[in-house]
Amino acid sequence: MIDPAQAGLRESATFDRATIAAIQRAAETGVYDIRGWGAKRAVPHFDDLLLLGASMSRYPLEGYRERCDTDVVLGDRHAGNPLHLDIPITIAGMSFGALSAQAKEALGRGATEVGTSTTTGDGGMTPEERGQSKHLVYQYLPSRYGMNPDDLRAADAIEVVLGQGAKPGGGGMLLGQKISERVAGMRTLPAGIDQRSACRHPDWTGPDDLTIKILELREITDWQKPIYVKVGATRTYYDVKLAVAAGADVVVVDGMQGGTAATQEVFIEHVGIPTLAAIPQAVQALDELGLHRKVQLIVSGGIRTGADVAKAMALGADAVAIGTAALIALGDNHPRYADEYAAIGSAPGFYDDFQDGRDPAGITTQDPELAARLDPVEGGRRVANYLRVLTLEAQTLARACGKAHLRNLEPEDLVALTIEAAAMARVPLAGTSWIPGQGF
Amino acid sequence: MCGIVGLHLKNPALEPELGRLFVPMLEAMTSRGPDSAGLATYDAEGMHVIKDVGLPRDICAAHDIAARSGHQAVGHTRMATESAVTSDHAHPFTPLADLALVHNGSFSNHASIRRTLARQGIACTTDNDSEVAARFIARELTEGADLEDAMRSVLKEFDGFFTLLVTSGTQFAVLRDSFACKPAVIAETADYVAMASEYHALAELPGIGDARIVEPEPERVYAWSR
Repeated sequence: MIDPAQAGLRESATFDRATIAAIQRAAETGVYDIRGWGAKRAVPHFDDLLLLGASMSRYPLEGYRERCDTDVVLGDRHAGNPLHLDIPITIAGMSFGALSAQAKEALGRGATEVGTSTTTGDGGMTPEERGQSKHLVYQYLPSRYGMNPDDLRAADAIEVVLGQGAKPGGGGMLLGQKISERVAGMRTLPAGIDQRSACRHPDWTGPDDLTIKILELREITDWQKPIYVKVGATRTYYDVKLAVAAGADVVVVDGMQGGTAATQEVFIEHVGIPTLAAIPQAVQALDELGLHRKVQLIVSGGIRTGADVAKAMALGADAVAIGTAALIALGDNHPRYADEYAAIGSAPGFYDDFQDGRDPAGITTQDPELAARLDPVEGGRRVANYLRVLTLEAQTLARACGKAHLRNLEPEDLVALTIEAAAMARVPLAGTSWIPGQGF
Repeated sequence: MCGIVGLHLKNPALEPELGRLFVPMLEAMTSRGPDSAGLATYDAEGMHVIKDVGLPRDICAAHDIAARSGHQAVGHTRMATESAVTSDHAHPFTPLADLALVHNGSFSNHASIRRTLARQGIACTTDNDSEVAARFIARELTEGADLEDAMRSVLKEFDGFFTLLVTSGTQFAVLRDSFACKPAVIAETADYVAMASEYHALAELPGIGDARIVEPEPERVYAWSR
């Protein structure tokens, strides 16, 4: 095989190899591409921001010796029993169906070990997950698969899902190969048949009717459970204002890098806005209502490191949620499965066919043999380890900025490396006082 | 980055001497804050504030501070950190007719608290972090808290490093953060309570040799009333 660069061959930027392969695939099959993961294109992100550590005008805190607290209370606006989490890093909603029961249990174990919450998904609550999760957020989705009042009451919080960052405006998908008898039973659907979830709720649309729905959920749960509203990041400023107007205790904003188990590629890459662009819009909305830090903001979509956690919180998030990163912590895309990834046409670092149910790591599958590869106890340990590292990293950065609590990080602690990130995050370009777009 | 001093007289016989006792205290803090200085004195007519750019000695002389009488004085010499060197940015910050705050240190979350206050219609007039604390305390007092409670609220809301001295004409309160890195010393006799960033600012006070001298503990409000 010749080396294209050596041979003077030039690849088209517009029609690159991935684009050519996509056109060829479409021409051969006549169907659109469905995959998992989130947006893979490069978008302005937390890596484009830097923190201003303390030196002379501010004083840093000593690592290991001086405290930097991490706890967060979620949902104390109206709920009798708000969640009090030890760390502001939660596990995002992922369904049983998309993930194996073992994976869901492992996420619950990991979250519980470090005192944070995990979240159900489309398809209901499994006993394994409830049993292993100290703080379990129950998603209330348009499909209502597996929804019942008993599980609502068994949850520690309720998350009304309007959308997710990977597909704002779209419903979920679960392809037939992952609809086992158990998954089908929980959703009251036939096994083995492709399933589409609704893109909007059956009994309400918009904030006026959501107000009624939230009151109904509060009545069912005796006004004890925090009620979250989750939106995919698009018109975030308006969506957050309306979620608050409808009575949300917590707003969850999921940027376009947020993951999915199965969505059209065209949807994942072309709908929604980056997490970085969404946070300032959400914070502005809460600020204008006088409710920033009173209605809590959870941000997800591309959180990977403690730096991402610190920067999201500096921009005004009260907590973050991780999905894709948690799956990677469980073993997703691990090089140990290189041969098996190759056998299904993928490779470690590239695998995103979560819809197919043939996950060598046993995470995004309902195949009993594959699912058995993931030990929920060992998986939980890995998730807990990862959450600990995220927390320690975020504390390291917060202490450097002189903060005795992660929540005291502020936008003023940030600068941007690029004009795009400066404009989106509304922080100055590094070394300047210029915030592009302000004053226009 | 700053020096702070305060004098709270218990013995009315010393009141004519307030300025004479206070000026050496402020001048002793010149090395900690050569950019600007400010002070407030309290007498029967209320609080009188002087702030100016320059050396404490020149500012005290220009306003004849040594001749002032009264029962309380608080002063500050400033080495600016992140905000401008102007008389407006000089301490004390006096958001109420009888409230003066001086601060040594650097808050690390004042931008967020500034935004919260602004939403409530409480605007700061400078970008100085210390003004945020002054207006925060003023809000607490206006809402009915007493000065000690207001100072305890500072501990809950403000992050960073601070030694604060706050006076209200009737009260005199000192508070340090949990790290207690910014220096402070309090001297108390039957005649007065005096506070300074460094001991040598107190060295010329009458009876200092027999005074009870303490270094304020972290996160404890020390308050005196008259």
